[in-house]
Amino acid sequence: MLTTEVVIIGGGATGAGILRDLSMRGVKAILIERGDLGCGTSSRFHGLLHSGGRYAVRDKNAAIECIEENQILRRIGKHCVEPISSIFIRTPEDDEAYEGTWLEACKEAGISTKPLELSKLFEMEPNVSRKVKSAYLCPGAAIDGFRMLWQIFDSANRHGGKTLTYTNVIGIDSENGKVVGVTVQDMHSKEIYKIACNYLISATGPWCSRVAQLAGIDINVKPSKGSLIAFNHRICTNVIHRLHKPSDADIFVPHGTVTILGTTSIDSDPDDNSTSQEEVECMMKIGEATFENLRDYRILRVFAGCRPLYSAGNSSGRNASRDFAAIDHGKEHGLANFMSVCGGKFTTHRQMAQKVCDMVCPVLGNTAKCTTHEVPLIEEPSEQLMQRAKAVFPSYAAELAENRQGAQRLEQLVKDIEKDNKLGEIVCECENVSRAEINAVAEDSTSHSISDIRRRTRLGMGTCQGTFCTYRAVGTVKSLKKDWTEDTSKLFREFLEARWKGIRPVLWGNQMRDVDLTRGIYEVSLNINHEEKKHE
Amino acid sequence: MAKLKSDNPDQCISCNICLTACPVARATRKYRGPKLTGPALTRLRMLIEDQDPMLQYCSNCKNCDRVCPSGTPISTLNMKARSAYYKKNPHTLAEKILSNNELMGKTITSIPFASTIANLGMKITKAAGAFEIVGMSSKAPFPTYAKKSFSAMFKSISQPKCDKKVLFFPGCYVNYNEPQVGVDLVHVFNHNNIEVLIDDNFVCCGSPMISAGYIDKVQHNADINSKILASYAKQGIDIITTCTTCALILKQEYDELFELEAVKEYNVHMYDAIEYLLNMYERGELKTDFKTLNKKEIYHTPCHLKVQGYGKPTLKLLNKIPGVEVVDADAGCCGLSGIYGYKTNTAEVAAIVGSKLQKTIKESDAHEGVCECNICRLQMQNNTGKKAYHPLHTIRQAYGI
Repeated sequence: MLTTEVVIIGGGATGAGILRDLSMRGVKAILIERGDLGCGTSSRFHGLLHSGGRYAVRDKNAAIECIEENQILRRIGKHCVEPISSIFIRTPEDDEAYEGTWLEACKEAGISTKPLELSKLFEMEPNVSRKVKSAYLCPGAAIDGFRMLWQIFDSANRHGGKTLTYTNVIGIDSENGKVVGVTVQDMHSKEIYKIACNYLISATGPWCSRVAQLAGIDINVKPSKGSLIAFNHRICTNVIHRLHKPSDADIFVPHGTVTILGTTSIDSDPDDNSTSQEEVECMMKIGEATFENLRDYRILRVFAGCRPLYSAGNSSGRNASRDFAAIDHGKEHGLANFMSVCGGKFTTHRQMAQKVCDMVCPVLGNTAKCTTHEVPLIEEPSEQLMQRAKAVFPSYAAELAENRQGAQRLEQLVKDIEKDNKLGEIVCECENVSRAEINAVAEDSTSHSISDIRRRTRLGMGTCQGTFCTYRAVGTVKSLKKDWTEDTSKLFREFLEARWKGIRPVLWGNQMRDVDLTRGIYEVSLNINHEEKKHE
Repeated sequence: MAKLKSDNPDQCISCNICLTACPVARATRKYRGPKLTGPALTRLRMLIEDQDPMLQYCSNCKNCDRVCPSGTPISTLNMKARSAYYKKNPHTLAEKILSNNELMGKTITSIPFASTIANLGMKITKAAGAFEIVGMSSKAPFPTYAKKSFSAMFKSISQPKCDKKVLFFPGCYVNYNEPQVGVDLVHVFNHNNIEVLIDDNFVCCGSPMISAGYIDKVQHNADINSKILASYAKQGIDIITTCTTCALILKQEYDELFELEAVKEYNVHMYDAIEYLLNMYERGELKTDFKTLNKKEIYHTPCHLKVQGYGKPTLKLLNKIPGVEVVDADAGCCGLSGIYGYKTNTAEVAAIVGSKLQKTIKESDAHEGVCECNICRLQMQNNTGKKAYHPLHTIRQAYGI
């Protein structure tokens, strides 16, 4: 049996933030996640680092939190934030009167709104609709959810925080009205065991009701599904918002090599991350007000995530507050040392974690102050290391690898390639992922599938959506001879199915042709479905 | 920066067919192929900047564009990226010199004896090793300059008045290096009762500048040439080229690079000289009073002709001439690809690419080579022991004019 002070359930942004904060305050903590890190809501969003402008009119507090955290994450999470701007544009379809209200609200919240001449806007963003009436430059940016989580966990681990992925909570153990531990199951080995703790925090977002149910507690979390569309390339260089009351499909975020359009808001089951073709069509229609030629751009795939909206009352969807809720089950339901945290946004996850830890630590007798806003998540690479990296990686690959893996792992990658230059070969040509990087991530104890490697490298997330990198990646990990790399058919199917899931609702145009090529390679040439030849 | 239509890499489905057709990727591992350099890295270049030595290795031969089942303008993405690279990095001296072909040609052919001195000077400079110093290969087959430009020679030809007129775009090579091709064209067309017009306001199509990474400068040339071409096309006058590269730039690349509307007005009226004559032959309009010639020729298809997708008219037409046997070399790209074959760093790749063609020609029992492209012909003559001519040369010979 493992013993720790705090168990955190949920490997998303909230849980990660709490693990890092507790670890930095010197509290022993273990985080458990039923899947891979960030496979829930925290990676299924725009990748937008809010400026707060979107919430300024309706929710001043949320807006202020956003702008504060925006500045902090740009500083501590340099490798995960693309330091671009966000541009709010008012199209002819948007209410003119809202513009003044919005400007006033942004001013009050301390969010800068620099007016942009339309000629300047079109120079910066040549693809934006020429019908735009006015535009403002705000400090929004793009943030890589997977990468930030990965780096938060790295930082937490350095401070002693532990993480167990593919570990599902099946029971909450309590004695005398107090939580004393959890019963968990390893999803791979199926082993069931207990972890003893003094405090339990459920940071499971839209799954909070289900986890609380394990202790017989009812809480009102309303999962609200948002779908997003990923386009094949950067159609804008800055985040483009519609200047109107927050609504569906009104944000475009240039994110890495792609652009993401979102989102929708539909009450749903937390495990439902499907998107219908109707939703896509609906979003495309709205998106055309921002980019008139939107349909000329190729859709790569769609994805969806569930917002963990918490409501003490009955509001849901866009009317529910984006604020977060920390529910002390001791006070509310008579089960002490148990807290559920839900609601909130990726942008403000650090501040949420700080507030939660400020509540939890005194219970544990810890009075240390939060320092998460002061310490960068990962170290900067030395100039010398970057030079060595540029010498061994193909063009455009060194900086990307450094951003994804951080200085420490990069140094190892460089050493590996210096020793064997074949490891510098690119496995994923769309996202420039080298064999060395795949090897290093596959060796990590949290990796159990090609999808796990994808989340840490962007393998298979580009134009070909796995057509050419899947067999290369499977071949690469197979040579590592790990338990999970033995069944290659399973590796193929898991990854291709996951890619296919996001493509199915957008099966037209070039993507349709791409899928047919993929099918030709895997189903026909490689016979991945093992159709036996029938003997006569 | 000029607005470039081909910023959009979305047509590519990463099938890699282009890689199998790329002569450069086959010749050197320094180039990782058209798909990666073109559409794949176009996406990454929108995200990060980096030194990219691969950019200089695309020869712009356009075999990638030809085989692409998705219609991706791969080579244009490459040229666009190369041009963007030179916004922040200096051009080599060789690129500066080689992209100035028009000015050099104009100057040298307009002064008496200047060409003799220039050609001699080139030999001496080459012998003295000065080519290497500026980054040009002394092994590559450089063209020589003509004594008199084509436009000067054209003025002294008295043409019969004909109802049918065509406009000829001679391009720099015919104008300054091998005016004989233009002269042959005028005679062959006149023989078929077609008068040839030229327009003194034409400028270089811009191909060497595109290859050397000066796309912005090309826009100026594109504006001038496309306006002239459109004005003739509107009068129903067909436009004839002999240089397959000029043709490709005028017909297609101006539109890919600059979205010039005028291109659509004239490009359906543009024909390669031999394509035009073959069309006439097929309609029964071409004079067939050919003499028997008794020669065997080996034909090389220029890459820039292949990509235009109108077959191999030369192979068909020359074989109609009694006593002429034309065989297809079918030996891939000549490698030179304009200035690519002359810059030291790419000349060695060009030499590898072109070696198959050279070997094929050398070992062939044909008397001479035949090819539409001027630069290809230089490679066909380079250490093969055979001369290479434009097909108009044989046609004029057969007419006995």
